[in-house]
Amino acid sequence: MRLLDWIVIVVYLAYVIGDGVRRAKGTHELEGYFLANRGLPWWAVGLSVMATQLSAITMIGTTGQGATDGMRFVQFYFGLPLAMVILGVTVVPFVRRARVFTAYEFLERRFDAKTRSLTSFLFLLQRGLSCGTIVAAPAVVFSAIFGWNLWWSVALIGVPTVLYTMVGGVQAVTWVDVKQIILVVAALVAVVVVLLVQLPVSPDDALRLAGAAGRMRVFDLSFDVKQTYTVWSGVIGGTFLMMSYFGTDQSQVQRYLTARSDGEARNSLLISAYWKIPLQALVLLVGVLVFVYYVFVTPPLLFNPAQAQALRAAEPAAYRELNLRYLTAVGERGAAARVASLVSGDPVARTGALTAFQDRNAAVEGVRDQAMALAERVTGEPSRDVNYIIPWFVLHGLPVGLAGIFVAAIMAAAMSAVSAELNSLATVTVIDYYRRWVRPQASDAHFLWVSKAATGFWGLFACVVATFAATLGSLIEVVNRFGSFFYGSILGVFLLAMIPGARAIGAFVGLIAGMTAVGIVNFGEPSVSFLWHNVIGAVTVVLVGMALSVRWKRTPRGMSPASR
Amino acid sequence: METPARPDAAAPAPERRRFRSTLLSVMAVQVATLLLLWLIQLRYGG
Repeated sequence: MRLLDWIVIVVYLAYVIGDGVRRAKGTHELEGYFLANRGLPWWAVGLSVMATQLSAITMIGTTGQGATDGMRFVQFYFGLPLAMVILGVTVVPFVRRARVFTAYEFLERRFDAKTRSLTSFLFLLQRGLSCGTIVAAPAVVFSAIFGWNLWWSVALIGVPTVLYTMVGGVQAVTWVDVKQIILVVAALVAVVVVLLVQLPVSPDDALRLAGAAGRMRVFDLSFDVKQTYTVWSGVIGGTFLMMSYFGTDQSQVQRYLTARSDGEARNSLLISAYWKIPLQALVLLVGVLVFVYYVFVTPPLLFNPAQAQALRAAEPAAYRELNLRYLTAVGERGAAARVASLVSGDPVARTGALTAFQDRNAAVEGVRDQAMALAERVTGEPSRDVNYIIPWFVLHGLPVGLAGIFVAAIMAAAMSAVSAELNSLATVTVIDYYRRWVRPQASDAHFLWVSKAATGFWGLFACVVATFAATLGSLIEVVNRFGSFFYGSILGVFLLAMIPGARAIGAFVGLIAGMTAVGIVNFGEPSVSFLWHNVIGAVTVVLVGMALSVRWKRTPRGMSPASR
Repeated sequence: METPARPDAAAPAPERRRFRSTLLSVMAVQVATLLLLWLIQLRYGG
């Protein structure tokens, strides 16, 4: 990173803090602080919805996944458009017309206080932890790449975010989100353009090479519930996951509660329905093109500098031998790629050349796998090399200035996700706990002060969690796993809330039954990929909840079914 | 305990028509996107 890159980052940080803090003007009341007086335009809310979902994990982990695994992760989002349309006519009008601050407040009106408290507690637990994971993702990578202390890396992202979220409330979150998502998309497009210009082959040949290495397979039609990314898990499991996330997670529900009307709230969700899959394809394409870039530019044996150093220190002879084999294999792969691009006019010769490239690429990946396995054995930690590919490329492959813009975009992605989560965590803490159970009669000014303190508390909590989250495994899956454990079951409760015959006892017991069912398939048998957990949780809650509701309805007053 | 209002049942005909057209346009865009991804896989998927 050169001076211009640092200037870009400092200017970005100064701008977001300034822009966020000046939004404090319209937030002198609780409704203004948490819901912007329900007066934001649909396009700002829609961009904020997208910015909240897109975190630094997308910029680092998903792009890295594109480089190592190709485009197939896009299947994860196949259910999103349908989920958004369904939510637009179900959850959105229900929660908006209830004039609530939180989605869980709606559940008390429909069912009872214990259902509200349990769902809001699960939200605080899950979002509090995932917020830390989202800060950790870029912080761990920045600390490894720039050699900073992990705490400083966490503070660089955490402190400005907490500051503008605490002072400016939801107005700051939304309007800063708008700029951040624009920065993120612009940085991704710029990197694609730069990569296409830098590659020594045409875009068509680049994609053929990526395809020969298995990076251009988008659709997996196999119906295997143990496979995480297939068309079916994306369409069915993905629809349930997205309905759960956008329909019941306060960090998203709060976005569309700020919209001017039901129609504008619905339109805000449609921005994601239209653009999420193309955006995700763009994110993965960056990774795919970085893979092709490193076909022609020699990449390091391990992208994670800390693990490379540990391996070099602990097993110098093995490292030297692996590195030598690696450099030879990379050289042969580059030569095979050049041959394949030269014979692109002749289909038979091209097929042969691409097959040769495929073999050379398999040899390169074989050596890398051995190096990662050895590094894992030496350090006792999972390699997670995939998360370091893009930051390494940003540092060594992007022109001066653009590297700074991309690092700022990674920070923007982290900050946009974290700010919305801090804001929603504070909302649930104050509305569902403090105002509900501790001080129901306090003044608006008092609640506003407590809300700002709660935002600060959750920011500190996220930063502390972030320093430990580094050891939790693949970052992207960690966040999704946290979500999938509870999400489906909470969606089930909201679905029950829309069924006229459903009763409070059914909702509460159904919720526990749903989480138990997910726990069984998560820790025991049958082994099912996490994308299906939401389906299992939601269906269990609705079935158990309706069975209990029907049974309770038939029971005479004053008698429990068990006593008959 | 409140019984939920049914916004879809109460929605006037223009609202329902608008929802149907929105659903169709979202699905049309998705079909076009998936078709494009399918063509990319056919051409480059190996």
